[in-house]
Amino acid sequence: MSDRVYEILFIVDPNLGEPEVDALAAQIQGYVEKEGGRIQKVEKWGKKRLAYPVRKHREGSYVLIVAEGTGEIIKEIERRIRVTDGVVRYLSVRVDEDLRKAETSKRKRASEDEKKRARMATRPPRPSAVEEVQE
Amino acid sequence: MSSGSMGGGFRGGAPRQGGRGAGDRGGAGGAGRGNNKDAGKRYFFRRRKVCKFCVDKIDYIDYKDTKLLGGFVPERGKILPRRMFGTCAEHQRKLTLAIKRARLIALLPFAAE
Repeated sequence: MSDRVYEILFIVDPNLGEPEVDALAAQIQGYVEKEGGRIQKVEKWGKKRLAYPVRKHREGSYVLIVAEGTGEIIKEIERRIRVTDGVVRYLSVRVDEDLRKAETSKRKRASEDEKKRARMATRPPRPSAVEEVQE
Repeated sequence: MSSGSMGGGFRGGAPRQGGRGAGDRGGAGGAGRGNNKDAGKRYFFRRRKVCKFCVDKIDYIDYKDTKLLGGFVPERGKILPRRMFGTCAEHQRKLTLAIKRARLIALLPFAAE
């Protein structure tokens, strides 16, 4: 089975400082690597206000990790995140399929546009336009 | 534009019969016929809404894009029906999923406080 791409987004306790957030992010990257997944991207969004309180916190630091791997490893990573202190909330979403679909429709549209443009170029000028010229 | 004065749409205050074309943008276009007796009955011409995602060619609606999603969620945090924004079925489905994901991770509210 080929590998899938997952986005793991989690919220870190706002009371932790910058270095602690970094450490936590590194720790979770460690989980991914230990399970045999590959990290594609790590993004820190910094502190943001939460739309509603989560575990009595009104804000939190967001960290996004994009990882590649099988579904099995995500299961294990999620279990580990659940028992990790400092993570207030997490969400993992599989994205490869949706992104691929988006890519396909984008390509399809591009080629259709291309065809349309080609058709327009070869079409003879409309009769109305010709008339105007004669006048 | 006074909202909902005629018991119509969400923002446009469109007469209900306006149905299809009732818009949240485009204001009161045209149809200001002289005949006063008719004026009440006549419905206004409204610009047909088009799906924003189709126009902007957004294929993947990202749940992380709060700025984009926020425009489709009113203060209360509800997901509005398709007729409000004129999104096409396909994009409404994707939008709904994205909003729900964003809610899970506290990027969007479930309900207003």
